[in-house]
Amino acid sequence: MLKTIACFKWVIDDADIRIDAGTRKLVLDRAGYKISAYDRNAIEEAVLLQEKHGGTVCAVTVAPSSAKACLKDALSRGPDNACYINDPSFADLAPAQTVSILAAGIKAGIEFDLIICGEGSGDLYTQQVGPALAETLGIPCITYVNKLTYSESDRRITAERKLEDGIEVVSAALPALVTILPDINTPRIPTLKQVLGAAKKPALNVTLDSLGPAGDPCLKTVGIQAAVMDRKKIRFAADAEGIRAAVGALLKEVAIA
Amino acid sequence: MAGIWVFAESREHTRELLGAGRELADRMGTTLGVFAQGASASKEYIACGADEVFVLPVLGEDEPLEACVPVLADAVSAGDPDVIFIGATARGKTIAARLASRLKTGLCSCCSGFVYDEGDKLLRMERMVYGGAGIQTVVCETRPQMATIAPRTFAPAPEQEGRSGKVSELPVVPESGVKVLDRLPRQRGAVDVTRAKAIVCVGRGVEKAEDITLARDLADVLGAEVACSRPIAEELQWLPEDVYLGISGKRVKPELYVGVGVSGQIQHVTGIRDSRVIFAINRDENAPIFEAADFGIVGDLYQVVPKLIDEFKAALKA
Ligand SMILES: Cc1cc2nc3c(=O)[nH]c(=O)nc-3n(C[C@H](O)[C@H](O)[C@H](O)COP(=O)(O)OP(=O)(O)OC[C@H]3O[C@@H](n4cnc5c(N)ncnc54)[C@H](O)[C@@H]3O)c2cc1C
Ligand SMILES: Nc1ncnc2c1ncn2[C@@H]1O[C@H](COP(=O)(O)O)[C@@H](O)[C@H]1O
Repeated sequence: MLKTIACFKWVIDDADIRIDAGTRKLVLDRAGYKISAYDRNAIEEAVLLQEKHGGTVCAVTVAPSSAKACLKDALSRGPDNACYINDPSFADLAPAQTVSILAAGIKAGIEFDLIICGEGSGDLYTQQVGPALAETLGIPCITYVNKLTYSESDRRITAERKLEDGIEVVSAALPALVTILPDINTPRIPTLKQVLGAAKKPALNVTLDSLGPAGDPCLKTVGIQAAVMDRKKIRFAADAEGIRAAVGALLKEVAIA
Repeated sequence: MAGIWVFAESREHTRELLGAGRELADRMGTTLGVFAQGASASKEYIACGADEVFVLPVLGEDEPLEACVPVLADAVSAGDPDVIFIGATARGKTIAARLASRLKTGLCSCCSGFVYDEGDKLLRMERMVYGGAGIQTVVCETRPQMATIAPRTFAPAPEQEGRSGKVSELPVVPESGVKVLDRLPRQRGAVDVTRAKAIVCVGRGVEKAEDITLARDLADVLGAEVACSRPIAEELQWLPEDVYLGISGKRVKPELYVGVGVSGQIQHVTGIRDSRVIFAINRDENAPIFEAADFGIVGDLYQVVPKLIDEFKAALKA
């Protein structure tokens, strides 16, 4: 029996982010939300392990109480159950807070052998939460994994880490935490049946009252400015004339060797 | 005590952090410390501005670099530095996150720059959020103030003559729960896209690996290097990892960037933001790349690129 936790974050869909060039502010209020891209790989990897070795998969998130829609989305991707650690104040948590809340929520009631996190979240992309969570829970941590296998006989995982200087093949006894790269798998697209079935799966609602305070943010955000870029945005037709004009325009702008 | 301490995997990267650290240490009126893997680098690091070198013991063959986290944490607790910079490589980012968690302090991931505020003695650190659509400024209210810094963010510190510093050895690293079974070094590509004057970048609009020749032909005419989006390198593995551009890949600033079948999602655009001229070919007129481009052609790359090659050839010959 392999009990796996997949950690996922409900993030703003970056395709919906607008920039107000005048004020250099990000306009986020009309943006939709989605499961952070690489956390879909985390969920998929947990489900793949379950298909091979049995056991359970629990999808866990720390989110503001307004994010309930994330549960159905996550559960439609295969996990048996979800854990929704939420509070209205959980909107802009610093990584240290996310970690302490996740750790408290997991310690309070989710049994696990393996925790799978994404390489980084789509909004903050701090790449901290996974390793910091492992440290807080006092378990081995393997980051940047693009191949993962579990050996039932000795209850160890073997993982290939993709690093700047090459592949490092490592192994660790469970319980352990891994953070995974997106090329580890291709997340399946939920079928209609899975989407409908997701509503019937159990989701544990964990609130701040049962966990205690969120802890020190350590890192304080003093501002966020939009990155602006001034571009000409001139379009040319795809016919011979257009292409010739494009080449002319380009050669006027840049000296080509 | 106080001080700025730095740690990175490679010597080059360490020297970059020493460069940033030395300047800051002078402004803050404090010392600069550096962690070194093995004693051999000590002299070089001292010449590059370090006042103190902490030599990590050589790790066992089967120990990952991350095994040194407990020893780093003890050294930090004993030395009480005010600031720690760690090189933002995969291992460095992991070490930094675990160290910050142990020390119960904040960590600014992939800090792209900082200013020191004399008033509150805090670093105002910048980093990218939302795939690069936003620049977040953070301060770390706990000590030490920590940041990871990507390679080539700062210029390496030059060696100076006549500098002296203290060298001390750190204790043996305890066995970690993760064992290294094998290391498969990566063949480094000869191409350094960060130095390219012109870049032809292929995206998933290219249907199969062989079709990259089309981009290569265009690149040859332009004297450009071929780069790609993340999925081309990672998911499809059609091109090496060193040539994918974006927030998690290389950041480039060529004179000319040509996107061929690249959608231009923000994580990619972040890596090409500093290009002087951006030109995009995409068959979807609503592709976000057109919002980030100076010039664009809405069309099928299989039809447009061969014609472009001919046109460039003709124009350049004339
Ligand atoms: C945390 C995080 C970090 C990331 N970091 C990076 C990064 O560093 N770099 C990066 O590149 N991506 C990164 N990504 C992924 C990024 O979000 C996009 O998914 C990726 O850049 C898309 O690659 P693409 O443009 O090649 O593919 P697609 O988005 O699939 O776009 C293909 C494009 O080709 C066009 N097309 C198709 N056929 C043709 C044709 N015949 N002729 C012309 N056009 C055609 C389509 O219209 C489409 O616009 C990251 C994502 C996350 C979540
Ligand atoms: N609020 C959250 N809830 C659950 N998991 C999270 C949360 N934030 C981050 N994670 C996990 O940690 C990974 C890294 O996130 P980050 O450190 O923000 O880049 C993500 O891919 C998730 O797996």
